[in-house]
Amino acid sequence: MIDTIYMETAVADHPRSRNILQRYPHAHVIECSNYTEVFNRKAQNFRLQKKKPALILAQKHHGHVLPTPARYGIGARQNYYFSHMLNCLYDCRYCFLQGMFQSAHYVLFVNYEDFIEELARLAQQHANETVHFFSGYDCDSLALDPLTGFIEQFMPFFEQHSNCLLELRTKSTQIRSLLERHPITNCVIAFSFTPEAISKALEHKVPSIEKRLQAMLALQQAGWLVGLRFDPLIYTNEYQRAYTQLFHELFSRLDCSRIHSVSLGSFRLPRDYFRKLQKLYPDERLLASPLADEDKQIGYPAAIRNNMLDFAAEQIQQYIEPDRFFPCHEMI
Amino acid sequence: MIHIFTALACEAMPLVKHFKLKEQNQYDLFRIFLSADNHVSLVITGVGKSLAAAAVSYHHACCNTSPADVWLNIGIAGHADLPLGEACLVNKITDAASGATWYPQVLFDAPCPVLPLRTLDTPSEDYQPILYDMEAAGFYALASRLGTSELIHCLKIVSDNAQSHSGNVKAKLVKGYIESQLATMDRIVSVLHGFSHELENTLALPPAYEEIITRWHFTRTQKIQLRECLRRWQSLQDEVEALQYIQAADSARSVLRLLGDALSSVPFTLNSRSTVQQ
Repeated sequence: MIDTIYMETAVADHPRSRNILQRYPHAHVIECSNYTEVFNRKAQNFRLQKKKPALILAQKHHGHVLPTPARYGIGARQNYYFSHMLNCLYDCRYCFLQGMFQSAHYVLFVNYEDFIEELARLAQQHANETVHFFSGYDCDSLALDPLTGFIEQFMPFFEQHSNCLLELRTKSTQIRSLLERHPITNCVIAFSFTPEAISKALEHKVPSIEKRLQAMLALQQAGWLVGLRFDPLIYTNEYQRAYTQLFHELFSRLDCSRIHSVSLGSFRLPRDYFRKLQKLYPDERLLASPLADEDKQIGYPAAIRNNMLDFAAEQIQQYIEPDRFFPCHEMI
Repeated sequence: MIHIFTALACEAMPLVKHFKLKEQNQYDLFRIFLSADNHVSLVITGVGKSLAAAAVSYHHACCNTSPADVWLNIGIAGHADLPLGEACLVNKITDAASGATWYPQVLFDAPCPVLPLRTLDTPSEDYQPILYDMEAAGFYALASRLGTSELIHCLKIVSDNAQSHSGNVKAKLVKGYIESQLATMDRIVSVLHGFSHELENTLALPPAYEEIITRWHFTRTQKIQLRECLRRWQSLQDEVEALQYIQAADSARSVLRLLGDALSSVPFTLNSRSTVQQ
């Protein structure tokens, strides 16, 4: 899968780097001083790179854990996100990463210990309240877990800090490392969904709804809390039928009492990211949706957006109590 | 379009013959060759990174290049122990003098080894297990301002190593090395041409755009709106000619209104093309 590995010279001797290199004995390994020499340089094309992304092993020097945008959350007052990786195995046409980065390569920051130190500092700072940490903002939390060992390395911290909750945001079915552990109540494995036809059109390389649902059922059976994320909601002329069917499929098969939270948000992108996506994929039908430009954000016009959010909210609350439902109107 | 740069005439001639290129005598600073269909060009840069950079710049000015074009530096290089005549692609270029680096993005299964390269200002016989040349850094520094690094590559053929030093390199030998690697070059060119074509499609103006701006007068802002409108048209209903909906238009403004109205009538789906209601 990975033919080329760029590696910062500073992390060449890091045990995690050595471990990963051993997994890919035939990869071309190219040393660089700083990952930004390769990643996000000008004169790169995200669409072409997505054909064969390389792995970049790097060190994150600062900003390991950051506050989330305002109103982004699932019930706590203190909300932070962190990204041990940049970019994603999947190729979802609505994804903001395509607009944010010039490169499609996967950057893995191997200095997990620095992330965990920062998590510990924030846990201490907010010792008397619940703190939510979101992983999966700039990457899929689980898709490359067999390679990154993310769960194995980060989960012990959350096992020891019950005031901290971890959200793993994913479309992946890579759940083996979770199933091998004792479940904890301060971790939510949150799966993102769109209806089948929309997923097939827009979520390239993503496992089918059925496979993701099977993964959620296995996690629930093992005692883990799961979450559902309907963000972005995608408009088509048949969205009501498609989402009704999706909600029914998911909520009727999952144990609703063990769903930690459900969140919702409509498709929107910062204007600059949207323009970049248009250049990368000018024929993409999603980008020809009825859209409006409001306050440097591109999204559905208010009438469509509010109808969709109201419709979805009403449907979801047939299955889930309001205190576990978190509609998100915040832009990226 | 594919632009090939070689330092020496003996590197160029097998390529000129292979791609059926003709010399363009109107250019006097560098020798430039072009295929009859204008799809392949070749420039003889002379030796050294400064000349390579100048040749890229001159070629861009003379031949109207596109950001979707393929740029190739093809030539000989030294290596400690690779056999003479071996072709290699390059995944990292270091300018030995400045320390600057570039990373050509090899996004395909390379038909040959892929190695790092150092560009030197003067020939050296201190062979190490990487490639050495005298042009790649100059070539890449300029080409990467004009194209994208997935389509800009250096293909080097080993002409000297620790056993056979650069003093032994003769024009006839070089010509033979290049000839023996034409099949490798073809495979690389073929895959890069596919990528270039994909990129070219994303840069193309929507169908009917040129005809519409010729028939009606559009302001600068209206041209942007028209491009956006035709792009949506192409995505949503490309089998249908936009022109047939605007025959009655008497101004750019009414063109935009008619196209907008027609698009609003399309039931929006992601999976299949729909047609507007007439």
